[in-house]
Amino acid sequence: MAEDLVLDTAIRDWVLIPLSVVMVLIGILRYFVSKLMRSSNQVPDPKMVKEGQVIIRARNLRAAANYIPAKSFRARRVYFNNEENGLLYVPKGQAQNPQAQMFSDPNMAMDMMKKNLSMIIPQTLTYAWVNFFFSGFVAAKIPFPLTQRFRSMLQNGIDLSTVDVSYVSSRSWYFLNLFGLRGLFSLILGEENATDDTQRMMQMSGFGFDPTKSLGAEKDSLDIVQHEWALPKFERRAEAVLKKLVS
Amino acid sequence: MVSKTEEDQVNRLESQVENGGGGEWEYLCLVRKLKLRRSYNVLKYGLSILNDPKKRSAIGPEEWTLYEQVAAAAMDCQRLDLAKDYVKVLLEKFPESKRVGRLEAMLLEAMGLWEEAEKAYSSLLEDNELDPVIHKRRVAMAKAQGNISGAIEWLNKYLEIFMVDHDAWRELAEIYVSLQMYKQAAFCYEELILSQPTIPLYHLAYADVLYTLGGLENLHMAYKYYASTIDLTGGKHTRALFGICLCTSAIDQLTRGRNKDDKENLQLAPLSALALGKDYKQRAPNKVSMLASTLRSLKLSS
Repeated sequence: MAEDLVLDTAIRDWVLIPLSVVMVLIGILRYFVSKLMRSSNQVPDPKMVKEGQVIIRARNLRAAANYIPAKSFRARRVYFNNEENGLLYVPKGQAQNPQAQMFSDPNMAMDMMKKNLSMIIPQTLTYAWVNFFFSGFVAAKIPFPLTQRFRSMLQNGIDLSTVDVSYVSSRSWYFLNLFGLRGLFSLILGEENATDDTQRMMQMSGFGFDPTKSLGAEKDSLDIVQHEWALPKFERRAEAVLKKLVS
Repeated sequence: MVSKTEEDQVNRLESQVENGGGGEWEYLCLVRKLKLRRSYNVLKYGLSILNDPKKRSAIGPEEWTLYEQVAAAAMDCQRLDLAKDYVKVLLEKFPESKRVGRLEAMLLEAMGLWEEAEKAYSSLLEDNELDPVIHKRRVAMAKAQGNISGAIEWLNKYLEIFMVDHDAWRELAEIYVSLQMYKQAAFCYEELILSQPTIPLYHLAYADVLYTLGGLENLHMAYKYYASTIDLTGGKHTRALFGICLCTSAIDQLTRGRNKDDKENLQLAPLSALALGKDYKQRAPNKVSMLASTLRSLKLSS
């Protein structure tokens, strides 16, 4: 039953374009506000930096272990994993819950709150505004056909069940803009902008840079590594190279 | 490490600017991003931009970064008057800034006032323990004053925190070699090989240090590392080829009279001698006879 609804061009002029323009402007505003609010407490914790570097060094050791002589490798492994003062050794008592640590650090908690707020509040406000002003009518037609499953998602304000699912409400236009304007923002604002909502959401789920756990993990994997000196293989390869060169 | 495309880009921009085409600002931005040290060019082009008020306003708020960059370049080229002017301008604009404080301390260092600079750096470090630039400047200052052991101490402290900085490890290794502390230098080169195992330079340096340390085991290891250098450079590295020959003759000298079990491992020597001969014939034909006599004297000792 695909009857073609003719949508008033006034909808395009007064709904779609203003909505996009408003979202772009809000995004730019948010970017500048977040830049202003970014406090200068960027001083990284020296312990965290050192731990990060230790982890990288341990990882390098694991990766290239076969390139250094066995004695040096073993010496380094002891240096890292030694029970008392090895770099990677984390005494049981200190393995804190990183969440607790983060909340007890007031600066970090403030930072997280600020970031969350700057993300959530404009979104909520804009959504409420869209709902209030632009609901109850068909806003646009999606150019490709959709199944009935999408009806509840895309046609929220429209209470007619016979309308083709391709005709969507302005709420769906709002969501489309929300996710789609990221590319536009990176053009306008340069690469680092605070409007990467979706990226931020993904980051939040994988939060919790836990140095203690990763140290323990590195220690275990370092324990497992078997040292197999690769240099004799190099010697044979060098022979082949030279033979080819000389012949 | 600068990638090949970026290097090409920098060179292209440099030649373009030198020949009078535009693009100075791009060149300066690229040099800043890649942290290259082209102070003479930076100074020349930076001055041309800064002295021209039209161009200066065209770059807007980045002008202060340009001031910082040109001030550092001026210090490198010993134009201390220019550097002082720029630092003053920056101080007026940003009175309490740490970056400007750092630049000021660098100016003191460039002028040769070591103690004031040392004091300035220490106070800056108290505020911000984790600024690698300040640490490195302190090391450089100690080295410039000839205080090598102080340089080693500061560098070790720096490396305790930032253990992944391979340039720092390399600097430390070279200092140790200059002091003939070869075991420590070997440790540093091992760190470098660990972090970047495919760079033949580090293998070569490690092999050199091992060969200098001497002792049969070290000589065997040096031999293997020269071999890996040859492998990594496709057999074209003259120094590595020579290294193989020298190692072989040294090992021969030490194992003279013992049972010759592991003699068959040392097959690289004749091959590398041949490769050397070929290379010399191509590139330095008048030295071929010298090469031949040297090789013969090495082999004679076996």
